[in-house]
Amino acid sequence: MLSHDVLVIGAGLAGMRAALEARRKGVDVAVLTKVHPVRSHSTQAQGGINAALGEDDSWEKHAFDTVKGSDYLGDQDSIEIFCREAPGDIIELEHMGTVFSRREDGRIAQRPFGGAAFPRTCYIADITGQVLLHVLYEQLLQAGVRVYEEWFATSLIMEDGACRGALAMEIRSGQLQAFGAKVVIMATGGLGRVYEPSTNSLISTGDGQALAYRAGAGLMDMEFVQFHPTALRNGILVTEGARGEGAYLLNSKGERFMEKYAPKMMELASRDVVSRAEQTEIDEGRGVDGFILLDLRHLGREKILERLPQIHELALDIAGVDAIDEPIPIRPAMHYAMGGIKTDVHGASLLPGLYAAGECACVTVHGANRLGGNSLLETVVFGRRTGAAAAEYVDRVSPANVSEALVSHEGDRIKTILERPDGRDSVARIRMEMGQTMNQYVGMFRTEEGLQTAAAKLAELKERYKQVGVQDKSRVFNTSLLFHLELGNMLDLAEAIALAASHRRESRGAQFRRDFPQRDDEVWLKHIVIRYAPEGPGLDYSPVSITRWQPERRVY
Amino acid sequence: MQAKLRVRRFDPESGDGVHYQSYVLEVPDYATVLDILLQIREELDDSLALRCSCCSAICGSCAMRINGQARLACKTKARDLAADGEEILVEPVGNMGVIKDLVADMDSFWQKARAVEPWLQPDGPPPEREYLVPHEVMRALTDVVACIMCGACVSDCTVLETELGLGKPPDQTFLGPAALAKAYRYVGDPRDAADANRLAALSRLEGIWDCTRCNFCVEVCPKGVAPMDQILALRRKAIERGYDEYLGARHTLEFEKTVRESSWL
Amino acid sequence: MKFAYWPGCSVPRQGTPELRITAAAVCDKLGIELEDLSLAPCTGSGILQARDLVYADTLNASTFAMAEDMGLPLMTICSTCQGVFSQAQKRLKEKPDYLAQINQTLEEQGMKYSGNVEVKHLLWVLVEDYGLGELKKAVVRSLTGLRVAPFYGCYLLRPSAALGFGEHPARRTCLESLIEALGADAVDFRGKTLCCGYPLVGVNDENSAAMVGTHTLEAKEKGADCMVTPCPLCHMNLDGVQPQAGEQRNTRINMPVLHLTQLIGLALGIDPPDLGFDRHAVQVKSVLEKLGL
Repeated sequence: MLSHDVLVIGAGLAGMRAALEARRKGVDVAVLTKVHPVRSHSTQAQGGINAALGEDDSWEKHAFDTVKGSDYLGDQDSIEIFCREAPGDIIELEHMGTVFSRREDGRIAQRPFGGAAFPRTCYIADITGQVLLHVLYEQLLQAGVRVYEEWFATSLIMEDGACRGALAMEIRSGQLQAFGAKVVIMATGGLGRVYEPSTNSLISTGDGQALAYRAGAGLMDMEFVQFHPTALRNGILVTEGARGEGAYLLNSKGERFMEKYAPKMMELASRDVVSRAEQTEIDEGRGVDGFILLDLRHLGREKILERLPQIHELALDIAGVDAIDEPIPIRPAMHYAMGGIKTDVHGASLLPGLYAAGECACVTVHGANRLGGNSLLETVVFGRRTGAAAAEYVDRVSPANVSEALVSHEGDRIKTILERPDGRDSVARIRMEMGQTMNQYVGMFRTEEGLQTAAAKLAELKERYKQVGVQDKSRVFNTSLLFHLELGNMLDLAEAIALAASHRRESRGAQFRRDFPQRDDEVWLKHIVIRYAPEGPGLDYSPVSITRWQPERRVY
Repeated sequence: MQAKLRVRRFDPESGDGVHYQSYVLEVPDYATVLDILLQIREELDDSLALRCSCCSAICGSCAMRINGQARLACKTKARDLAADGEEILVEPVGNMGVIKDLVADMDSFWQKARAVEPWLQPDGPPPEREYLVPHEVMRALTDVVACIMCGACVSDCTVLETELGLGKPPDQTFLGPAALAKAYRYVGDPRDAADANRLAALSRLEGIWDCTRCNFCVEVCPKGVAPMDQILALRRKAIERGYDEYLGARHTLEFEKTVRESSWL
Repeated sequence: MKFAYWPGCSVPRQGTPELRITAAAVCDKLGIELEDLSLAPCTGSGILQARDLVYADTLNASTFAMAEDMGLPLMTICSTCQGVFSQAQKRLKEKPDYLAQINQTLEEQGMKYSGNVEVKHLLWVLVEDYGLGELKKAVVRSLTGLRVAPFYGCYLLRPSAALGFGEHPARRTCLESLIEALGADAVDFRGKTLCCGYPLVGVNDENSAAMVGTHTLEAKEKGADCMVTPCPLCHMNLDGVQPQAGEQRNTRINMPVLHLTQLIGLALGIDPPDLGFDRHAVQVKSVLEKLGL
């Protein structure tokens, strides 16, 4: 058994920030990650990270925008902490070496972003996530934190209801290992591959949420899944920063149709509003071959190449369009999970010994819809807080002592998968059917009938999953086996999302139900928490924290 | 369109050595090499091991040698390489060991990046707010931090190929374009105060003066980082700061003297 | 056909004088007129650029200005000169402010570069302007049966963005095309686009010699009778350092290396004694014997 005080699972921004903080507090911390840290999905974030740095801005304004963006489901105690601590975290990132784009006076520049009444999104061209990820990685190198690179966590180790570590497979050798830890921090990111298409990397398979869920932690707000308004044909993202720099959204008639849906904020309304608007235009016949046009031409060549070089390249590569001369065809695609492992403001989940931070966690600051620029911020604010809290927790717990029998038991489970005979079904096919089902019935527009259809289909897919095997029987770098394990994680999460969506009989933020199109604060101003049980998931509620802002009608 | 791929296979468990396997399949016109490899995995052969994640040229996982040149598989359109259905050769990146099939052993790559101390080393405590830095300086650095550590430059680096061919152990070889570009990112950062140490370390054997200026790294970099340009910038800075003992620096200074003596300027 | 002619600096003048002689002879035979720019400064060769980029670009801008003043396109006979010129031109073209800054210095000498000179290696001139069809007509001694391994030289191939490959994609394979136009067979081998190691001479001789050994031996293994290169610096390494490269591998390589202009000269009927082969480190006798000379 390998053992550390703190085991962080996931080496994206949240995981690395948490590990760095724990290290600074002097505890023995290690990071376990299924890909090299700089390959993490955080690198795909393009547009920027929010903080109320400006003299004419304030954390309260940032907080209100976030609360409104969340359609009043965000927990305001968490949001206050989040927005108040944001400026400090941005400055710290700068001190770590982040090459933020600057204003004329040498201060960090900020651009407008969706749902924000003030330009407060700090950025580095349109590669903000990538730059931050590399900075954090370099900080981790300097701090000498141990990284178990290309290890896949297969399950959590639980003892008397508390988390005592994790079982993981070394991808390079296929060998299983038990990791004992006094506390585990889950920082595995999002679950985008549950949907098809999605803007997410192939590795965004919700492993952390699934492991935590099966171990007994509650998942909260699972129904709230964000569709990003501007994705290319194959799901690859075009940053909101494009609209932040002034790009227009046009329908087939050349109209800036957002005027009808969000007359004040137009293209920079919150993402759920914009995505639904686009889909409505497309469904009503005003799309262009099933797409909407993102027009950057009026920004001019210099601005495009300086502020948005990556998307200029992507548009050329994927859509065959030079954004300087032609508008880019885009459409909404699943992008972010507001829901996840329920935690408090210190990152503690409902299970002792298990913390969570980043997209896989649900504190919640995003409520029913997340503002652009707040996800990167969440990784550092709550990554830091969670790392500190976990370090403190270490003192209150005895060292883990894990039975080797767990390893052989897990080994048997995996052996069973490897030994299954080849059939005509495949992991890829099940995943595709799951993804398409989720996109169609648990997507931007939902109905009870559709949600029931989805639930039934998912149940069928889960049965098929129990029978499906993999052709590749090797031990070394068996990515087919990984996909199989990831699919198991995704199916559990898909089920939870569909269940929560069906249960919530209202529309709020990212959830729009054609059969319950209004927001219903009287009944539904609360979170749905789902907990795993062998006989089927159980539902519970959690109150929304309201400190300053009473729910209002949400108009952009 | 029909795609034909010839892929280098190596399975450490099988006991067979390296061999090449051909695949033929129907793919969409706009398919990238990565799309095709994933389709091969799904439809024909799921034992083909490779690394990939973002499919959008930002994570750096899928660097491979395609038709002999290092590229990102997700950024390489099949029809650009094989307009008439020619066979596309797919191999793991060069100058690194191979774990399996297209999965390279990048340990020495990461070790070299670490060797240049790639973290900010400021002098004294930071200011209360952000360091004040001119926009132009950050803009210039943005081109260098665009590096996604994919390994394409290292894969096709002439000096590394030569040294590994001579049997040198990887940790005693040329630092390489990726690590050196990363070093420049810090030397060029006004907030970093470790210039002296950095330039001294980089001016030694297997550092900035061991580049043969072949421009392969510039040619293959998928993000326009132009590592060799950063190496030249480091050379300029090293000489400016007086790190001119090393052979390469002396050679350069002598050359400069000759040119100045015989030119109009 | 007339060009402002940059023959290269003291390095090839002293190291490979046979290149200048044969270049002049070949151009004369083909009716290509050359206006000498031998007062122009060294291009910097990539080495000066590692010391002072602005100074190097200023020197190159002055050479461009001289050609512009003559009203002629600029021709080189060295891959490195071509590459350095092309990269300088690209910088000056993309940054008008930079060009203006450099012109300030030039103006003090009564010179000005407007940014519009075409720079081409003799190899490109022959393939694109003179035309291989015309070249074939000028061949009096076809090199039939001679197997020639092309070696471009890094600066003539990379970075491709600076070398006009977008407009002139044939530049990628122009050396092979020319070899074939002369009647010889172009030998395909991996090393043809790789680095000869010249820049490492005196810095890391072990690597430099190893590169020479790798490419010359590979050409030999692929059945080449000789190599040809459009770069005198590559020639100095592939030829001059070949003996050491052989020693490094405990073998004798014996791969003759010809300048581009020597190969063309042979095909145009110039006699071997006038082609300067006696200056080479590696004897060219076997090539002449194969051609029956």
